[in-house]
Amino acid sequence: MAFDSAKYVLIQALLSLKRNIWLSIASIMTVMISLTLLGCSVLFLANTSHIAKTFESQVEIAVFLNERLESAQITELQNKIEKLDGVSVVTLTTKDQAILDFQESMGSKSLLEDLGGVNPFPNKFTITAKDARMVETIASQVTGMAGVDKVRFGQGMLEKLIVFTNWLRWIGIGVVAAFSFASILLITLNIKTNVNSREKEIHIMRLVGASNGFIRWPFFLEGLMIGLIGAVMAIIVVGTAYTWLMQYIINTLAFMPVVADQGFIMLVLFIMLLCGMSMGALASAFSVRKFLRV
Amino acid sequence: MIKLRNVSKIYPNGARALSNISLEIAKGEFVFLVGQSGAGKSTLIKLLYREEIATRGQVFIDNINLVRLKPHQVPKVRRNIGVIFQDFKLLPTKTVFENVAFAQHVIGKNKHEIKANTENILELVGLGKKKDSFPSELSGGEQQRVCVARALVNHPSLLVADEPTGNLDIETAWGIMELLNQINRLGTTVVMATHALQIVQQMNKRVVRVEEGKIAEDTSGGAYRFGF
Repeated sequence: MAFDSAKYVLIQALLSLKRNIWLSIASIMTVMISLTLLGCSVLFLANTSHIAKTFESQVEIAVFLNERLESAQITELQNKIEKLDGVSVVTLTTKDQAILDFQESMGSKSLLEDLGGVNPFPNKFTITAKDARMVETIASQVTGMAGVDKVRFGQGMLEKLIVFTNWLRWIGIGVVAAFSFASILLITLNIKTNVNSREKEIHIMRLVGASNGFIRWPFFLEGLMIGLIGAVMAIIVVGTAYTWLMQYIINTLAFMPVVADQGFIMLVLFIMLLCGMSMGALASAFSVRKFLRV
Repeated sequence: MIKLRNVSKIYPNGARALSNISLEIAKGEFVFLVGQSGAGKSTLIKLLYREEIATRGQVFIDNINLVRLKPHQVPKVRRNIGVIFQDFKLLPTKTVFENVAFAQHVIGKNKHEIKANTENILELVGLGKKKDSFPSELSGGEQQRVCVARALVNHPSLLVADEPTGNLDIETAWGIMELLNQINRLGTTVVMATHALQIVQQMNKRVVRVEEGKIAEDTSGGAYRFGF
């Protein structure tokens, strides 16, 4: 397309946005609302899975070691456990450290003396699993190892937690799926109506001998711009609201894990922009196509 | 210029609009298509600018068979045909100037050429002063003049008009007819479907009468005297 034509097409798209101002505003609002919902639902999903992950990562396995184990054997055992499938971190709490910790938590200064000089605490490993679902397997493997006295993990509670976190994930995915579907539907239907209302215009363009490309371009650009403006507005709303909410939760409900990764939030906002622009442009192009079959 | 050979048109709903019509129109002719509503005039006109495609037979414009035309070739053929409608079909969101300019942008003319051409043709149809108005701000006659200007601006060799005076009072209608006559004298072939008996009788041109999808009469030189 010649430069003059390209410029003409761009100006026409802008003019048409301006002259069909109410239609344009309605479309922009639709895009904005849809993308706001979509953006919120994606952040909701991110947070639910983050919460699930945080809860699961708090499940630990406590391994109590035999009294007779030498420190070299302890290190050897630690290495062995670290090599097990699904193990993330193994930390050692020595019996000396354990009594100090306990003493501190009791607010006492002379616990060891009070106990008659005998330290009742065994040496202990704390194992963190990469995935809560692997805790049980790891625990049973460790139980059989030489030098291990007792293995403890949240039996009973763990199964319930996994059921709960799975639910949390599915709800998040469900919300995203529902809102994606709804927003695609809303945006495409709206733009389709927009294009349909200009059937006459398209018809006239064809009558004066406009090629299909020449007709399609202004609509395509218009859709793109509607998507762009709507997306930018949605990004401002979601970005501001989420930042505020995130700060609020961090300040008041410190125990709640919140996704506060700036890079991730930016990525979500950027995807919203892409979604808006591509949905706007594609919906326009497809709606026009219907009228271009000669 | 125009050659229809054994043309029939049956719409998808089964309505038969034209049956086995043959017609030739030479370059530079001015032809009226007359006949009752539903006789097939509009269908015949639509076949000429390939809004409709003949079910059977051939439609040639300048030796191009419109029936065989591939969809992507249609725009190019249409650029050589100006079309005028009873309901004007102007773009409501574009000004008079933009409506006329649009037809030229479509074929990729440059900006300066378009500006000069548009201003000239708007002067010719007597709308030089209304170029920045929107169609809704114009009278019916003025809107039809814009439509004529748009149809002519690319110098088509054929001008087809479907009841161009149908929505106009008689005086305004004559204004449009004078314009068409003038264009015809400059060499453009004109085919016009109309109900306006008075105009047909006074213009003294070839008249083709369509009746129930067939050509009932084809008289040249104002010999036409029948009522319809």
